[in-house]
Amino acid sequence: MSAIWLIARNDWRRQFAQPFAWVVLALVGALAAWQFLLALDMFLRHAPRLGALPDAPGVTDLVAVPLLQSLSGVLLLLVPLATMQSIAGERRAHTLPLLLAAGVGSSRIVTGKFLGAYALIASIIALVVSMPLLLQLGTELDLGRLAAATLGLLLYSAALTAIGILCSTWTAHPALAAAATLVIGSLLVMLDAGARMQGVDNELVNWLAMSSHLAPFLRGIVSSVAVTYFVLVTTLALLFAARRLDSLRTRA
Amino acid sequence: MNDSAPVLALTRASRRLSGRLIVEEVGFRVGRGEVLGLLGINGAGKSTTLRMIAGLLAPDAGDVRINGADPYAQPALLRREVGYLPEDAPLYAELTVSEYLDFCARLRGLRGNAAAAAVSRAIERCDLGEMRRRLCGLLSKGWRQRVGLAQAILHEPSLIVLDEPASGLDPVQALRLRELIARLREAHAVVLSTHVLSDVIACCDTVAILHQGRVHHHGALVDLDARAALRVRVERALDASDWLGVPGVASAHALDPHTWRITLDEGSDSADLAAASARLGFGLQELRTDASALEAVFLRISAAQAPAGRAA
Repeated sequence: MSAIWLIARNDWRRQFAQPFAWVVLALVGALAAWQFLLALDMFLRHAPRLGALPDAPGVTDLVAVPLLQSLSGVLLLLVPLATMQSIAGERRAHTLPLLLAAGVGSSRIVTGKFLGAYALIASIIALVVSMPLLLQLGTELDLGRLAAATLGLLLYSAALTAIGILCSTWTAHPALAAAATLVIGSLLVMLDAGARMQGVDNELVNWLAMSSHLAPFLRGIVSSVAVTYFVLVTTLALLFAARRLDSLRTRA
Repeated sequence: MNDSAPVLALTRASRRLSGRLIVEEVGFRVGRGEVLGLLGINGAGKSTTLRMIAGLLAPDAGDVRINGADPYAQPALLRREVGYLPEDAPLYAELTVSEYLDFCARLRGLRGNAAAAAVSRAIERCDLGEMRRRLCGLLSKGWRQRVGLAQAILHEPSLIVLDEPASGLDPVQALRLRELIARLREAHAVVLSTHVLSDVIACCDTVAILHQGRVHHHGALVDLDARAALRVRVERALDASDWLGVPGVASAHALDPHTWRITLDEGSDSADLAAASARLGFGLQELRTDASALEAVFLRISAAQAPAGRAA
């Protein structure tokens, strides 16, 4: 097992050795189940009338996608909590020298930390996606659209997680790292909406906003521009994090 | 000192941090079976020197060689050949001792049965059997240091680097740690930083005294001892002429009629003195190296150059 997987597995194990990961899974599961059941109930009540309409929205449009869309908002809050300990926690607990003295390079440490935190986020996404998927047992879902929306959420949360890892290298205080991740993540998500409220409709601002790249996925469109954007943000954040970790080695 | 090829060779290594020169042209060699004590007051540059040796901080000038190779060019060498215990044992509070050691073993490149065997061996050597299922976060300082030491030795490195391992330990824990370090010297080269003189006397073969980032004294403890005093306690009340009549005794200073500080001539050793004391019926009760020689050298270097106002 390479050092990357070893670090990722160790972080995964440490997360689940504490109540945090279990509580998060339970709370998000409960919240998502409640929203899912409410939406499903509403859909079932209106289904007869919807059936009479041409090109009427189906259960995927009215139940599954809104559920995943609201999960994107929850992830904005959850990712900072999942990543804040990654490097900041190691610095605070004085455990970083253990990894550095074992000859593990900064980029490997950062990638391992990213995968360890991302595994928890991906588990949350899998848990929520499994709810509408269950409907496939009794009805026909638009699996293509559901897959696109899931891919979008995975890419979006990967970018947020990488930003969280970067923020976690800036400080030895996990709470500060979480706050920084929340602020940067929120700015990137709401950038275009905020600009529009100010009467600015700029292409660059729209391109920079995460929400504008997540939206096509939720509509069932896998946009190569959006994929590139998320991969770029993830890669850049991890590169800056590795660079920052390198500079930490040279400090007293 | 070991005459064979050194495990560690640090040559004129210097390092600046935040623009300030912390370590300047520090150099020494350590061979297998040798324990080097890095002695110095707080801020002398001990931890920075150890971090350079452990591969955490590349020197700005000079070089570090582990078994003849550059650890900064070969990270695998660090993983395999160096074990490092920082001042604060790097433990994950959420893991049990055996889970933690298993992670460390794998981090050092051990797999499967080899990792499991290394963990068992380290647990046995550090007497951690009763703690193996205890969470690291619940361990006392002494046990934390032991677990930290276990992670530093579990991959059988050539070189073990220990940064103030006895710091914060009670006297019994410190004694056990010294015993452990004494056992480690059999198969490893050990570099140990401390500001406790008795740790150096108890554990080390050689000592390097660092002050303001430079090595001001480097040599074998026995050489220091040869010029040094022995502290001798005898049953009979003696006077100085009794001691000066013993062959090899250069001077004798009474601390009380039964306790003496004895200095030996060059070429004489403590065994000769013990034999002579027995022959002359002094009733030898205690014979040990007096810390004052090392202490004198240490204080001469560290206190004499302290900033004005503090040295008084």
